[in-house]
Amino acid sequence: MKALADLIIKFRWGIIPFFILCAVFFASRIPKAEIETEFKTMLPADLASRLNTEKIDDLFGGTEMLMLIIQTDDVLNPETLRRTESISKQMKRIKGVDKVLSLFDLKDIKGEEGAMIVNPAVKSIPRTETQKEKLRREIMNNDLVYGSVVSEDFTLTAVIALLKADVEDSFIVGEVTQLIKENPGEEEVIIGGLPNVRYMAASSIQKDFRKLIPLALLIMLIFLFICFKQLRGVLLPFGVVVMSILVSIGCVPLIGWKIHIITIIVPILLIAVANDYGIHLIAKYQELNAEGNSLTNTELAKGIFRSLSKPVLLTGLTTIAGMLCLLGHIIIPARQLGILASFGIVFALAASLIFIPAVVSILPKGKSIILANDKAGQRPLLDRVLHFFGDFVSRYPRAIVITAFSSAVVLSVGIFFIHVDSDPNHYFPKDSPIVTAADLISEKMGGAQSVSIVVNGDIKDPRVMNKIDRLERELGEFPEVGNTSSIARVVRKMSRALHDEGEDGYDAIPQARNAVAQYFMLYSMSGDPEDFEKMVDFPYENALITARINTTSTPRLNSVKEQVVAMTKNDEEIKLVGGFAFIFSDIARLIVNGQLLSLGLAVVVVGILLMVLFRSIVAGIVSSLPLGLSVIALFSLMGVFRIELNVATAMLSSIMIGVGVDYTIHFLWRYRAERHKGLARQEAAKKTLTTTGRGIVFNAFSVIIGFLVLFTSGFLPIRFFGFLIVVSIFSCLVGALVFIPAVCLVFRPDFLEPNKMISLKG
Amino acid sequence: MNKIKLFAALAAVFVICSSFAAQEELSGRQIMDKAFEVTKLAGSEAVSTMTIIDSKGRERVREIAMVTKLFDNGDTEKRLLRFLSPADVKGTGLLVFDYEKKDDDMWLFMPALRKTRRIVSTERAKSFMGSEFSYADMAPPILDEFTYTILSEKEVQGTLCWEIEMVPIDEDVADENGFSKRIAYIGKKDFVIRGAVYYDLDGERHKELSVLEIKEVDTVSHRYRPMHMVMVNTQNDRRSILKVNQIQFNPDVKDDYFTTRYLERY
Repeated sequence: MKALADLIIKFRWGIIPFFILCAVFFASRIPKAEIETEFKTMLPADLASRLNTEKIDDLFGGTEMLMLIIQTDDVLNPETLRRTESISKQMKRIKGVDKVLSLFDLKDIKGEEGAMIVNPAVKSIPRTETQKEKLRREIMNNDLVYGSVVSEDFTLTAVIALLKADVEDSFIVGEVTQLIKENPGEEEVIIGGLPNVRYMAASSIQKDFRKLIPLALLIMLIFLFICFKQLRGVLLPFGVVVMSILVSIGCVPLIGWKIHIITIIVPILLIAVANDYGIHLIAKYQELNAEGNSLTNTELAKGIFRSLSKPVLLTGLTTIAGMLCLLGHIIIPARQLGILASFGIVFALAASLIFIPAVVSILPKGKSIILANDKAGQRPLLDRVLHFFGDFVSRYPRAIVITAFSSAVVLSVGIFFIHVDSDPNHYFPKDSPIVTAADLISEKMGGAQSVSIVVNGDIKDPRVMNKIDRLERELGEFPEVGNTSSIARVVRKMSRALHDEGEDGYDAIPQARNAVAQYFMLYSMSGDPEDFEKMVDFPYENALITARINTTSTPRLNSVKEQVVAMTKNDEEIKLVGGFAFIFSDIARLIVNGQLLSLGLAVVVVGILLMVLFRSIVAGIVSSLPLGLSVIALFSLMGVFRIELNVATAMLSSIMIGVGVDYTIHFLWRYRAERHKGLARQEAAKKTLTTTGRGIVFNAFSVIIGFLVLFTSGFLPIRFFGFLIVVSIFSCLVGALVFIPAVCLVFRPDFLEPNKMISLKG
Repeated sequence: MNKIKLFAALAAVFVICSSFAAQEELSGRQIMDKAFEVTKLAGSEAVSTMTIIDSKGRERVREIAMVTKLFDNGDTEKRLLRFLSPADVKGTGLLVFDYEKKDDDMWLFMPALRKTRRIVSTERAKSFMGSEFSYADMAPPILDEFTYTILSEKEVQGTLCWEIEMVPIDEDVADENGFSKRIAYIGKKDFVIRGAVYYDLDGERHKELSVLEIKEVDTVSHRYRPMHMVMVNTQNDRRSILKVNQIQFNPDVKDDYFTTRYLERY
């Protein structure tokens, strides 16, 4: 260690520019990073629901919907209809729109005076009240549109764009917004559907973070200054955080990845974790540079490196190990998050241990912040609080341990209330336009997500057609299904146009294959060939049954999925079952599994790492304890406050691993060193709390105060995120300052005892 | 309108009888009138194949027998189509009265249902039997609804043609026909169309028609029929091919064929 410290001093003029240039290089890559908002790509390519949905898209074109909802007192008013017509016409011309469904595009099939007439559901705009009421009756009898593009109370009509598979959310939302602007009117026009939710989510997250992260950093700066009262004490840890963020985000385009919504957690995570190392070095620097010392600035630099290089390396290693456990996740961006965060931490670690001492050695020696000992009356507040903790812990260690364990047991009840939901509408406050639109669409238009079933066989065969009809009707009976469509519904509609009510064959699938084929022939004489393209493929070999789902809640989607799977299993003619509802249900399931796996893995890996480093099995267990308690506290709080475990909040426990163990390691390391110096247990605990404890407190509070800013975000997950980070860091802090010292005093683990110790000196 | 057409036809006949130099002076409209005229066949019997090919190359093939006859001094063409294959639509018949001045009348007979239904189609832009050909492509356009400009001369399918731009006179006409512009290639010698390019309502290239084979069915009156037509939709990559396998000039086709009674006799 001494040799390394000398090397740092020797090459300091090379080290400083090297780190700065490194950060500049990675920062220059960041503008090249592309943002990915597509949810599907979060899932591994071989996952059944993604694979099936892609196959369905391949057979029938895009199935994802962007909806424009036009709301007024009566949508059959001529001006409203004219506006709807104009919007739907222009919507078709937007690139990336595969098909438009609206009152002017969907058909009505009628039998009239010996003819079967296929016309748009609204063929011409009514001019008189009588015509309007006639149209209303026609629409009410047209099950191809009633309840799906016009609400049953006629206050809403939808223009739905079915999107091609490769269209980008930002592009399509931009085009549609422009379209609304170009077609002004009295009616309220709302954009709905997942592409819009994703776009809004992505852009609000970006906007919020662009505003909040700098603010959090600024507040942290101020706090660091209050703590250290020295510019270098502020700028050095802060600089390390900023550089590590630049490096890790700069890695994204270099590796060829894209920035996902989850990737935004990387800077937050680094703010929480990466300043850890720097803060401890500065705290140590100020400790060594206490009033009355005679060290030179290079000696100070070597001193901080020598005494902290091991615990800092250790905390870094455990954090990296914890982060890499995110690789256990099946959700792709979660894995990427693990790797990116690890890069950032490696850089922060190197910068803290090499860059900070190098800079310290070239700066003129700073003034002493810590005054000479034993002037108890003049001690700053923090020191007094830490002394109080020391006294408190040494007086009541048993009570503390018992309280901690029993409160963990009580709190763990909250975990049973935890609620897994990846509903993207929940990202927004309940009164936001996104949620209002989603509720409106679910309630009155049958929903904006879908489940698709593909039936394979001779579709013109009445047996197969009847099966499609039966499946569609069964689907329609689920409470979560808003409306359904299939080729069988069209055939039945034709049968009503071709037969008189009461006549054999009315509202039924024909009994002969030829009859079905001739229905289609008749239709092809008056309809468009594209009318069926979302229902049956060109060779009449595959038919698509689509059910719109009126909920985005994960538990309800799971129930839909289970019912559909039960309904379709063991049927060889059912080729594919998929759709966005399935993808969402999978995302939720994978988050929980992945989170539990990576969390469990992280606790084990970090435990093993500590066992190896302290050369003691007990060490692993002891240091995992506060972590375990914090995890319980976090999850139970989420349970109690009904904060959903979703893609973003699931990543919190990773931050916890990153932060939680560090504080414990710093404490244990110093405590052991103090015991080694011959201090009694209680004295060692007090000494550790008042010295290293200072760094831990500065570290934790700088993060907590920084993240309080997130409470001001208008975006729910960010608010929750802020809340949960504050809670988790606070619980880790209490763990390290109260619980761990008490554990040390009560259980007196061997690995911390001087007579059992193997040499510690580095 | 009829008088204008008659006049135009006479003018065209006059022009044909004159020298080549005079032909150069024909207006776009006169050429189109003539192009329309040369397809009018007093009566015919034919067997054709319609192949519809989707963007993935999958095919739907239909074999159709057809008889046609001119009525009302050539103002109405009546057509009876009978599907020969595929088996599931065999016997299905379509009776068309193609009027010059009003919407067509059409009836479809479905043998599996023993039912005949009138087809109501006012939109000429609609697809004909699910193919890339529209009703507008299958029957001559209402010539007054367009303006014509001769752009140049071009060799198409080995024949020197006029390149004529045809633009609907207003948006309604454009909507009804489904195109904003059509460039047609009309043979300079025979006035038979050799190809056309359609531009959609946004002005983008949409469909391309190629007439690969032509037959002079009525050698006395010089009346022609396209024997092999391909329509390619360049926007969705679908193609439709209409191929006439056999055709016979027969002005004496029985009038009886062109009744719903006969349509249902299968």
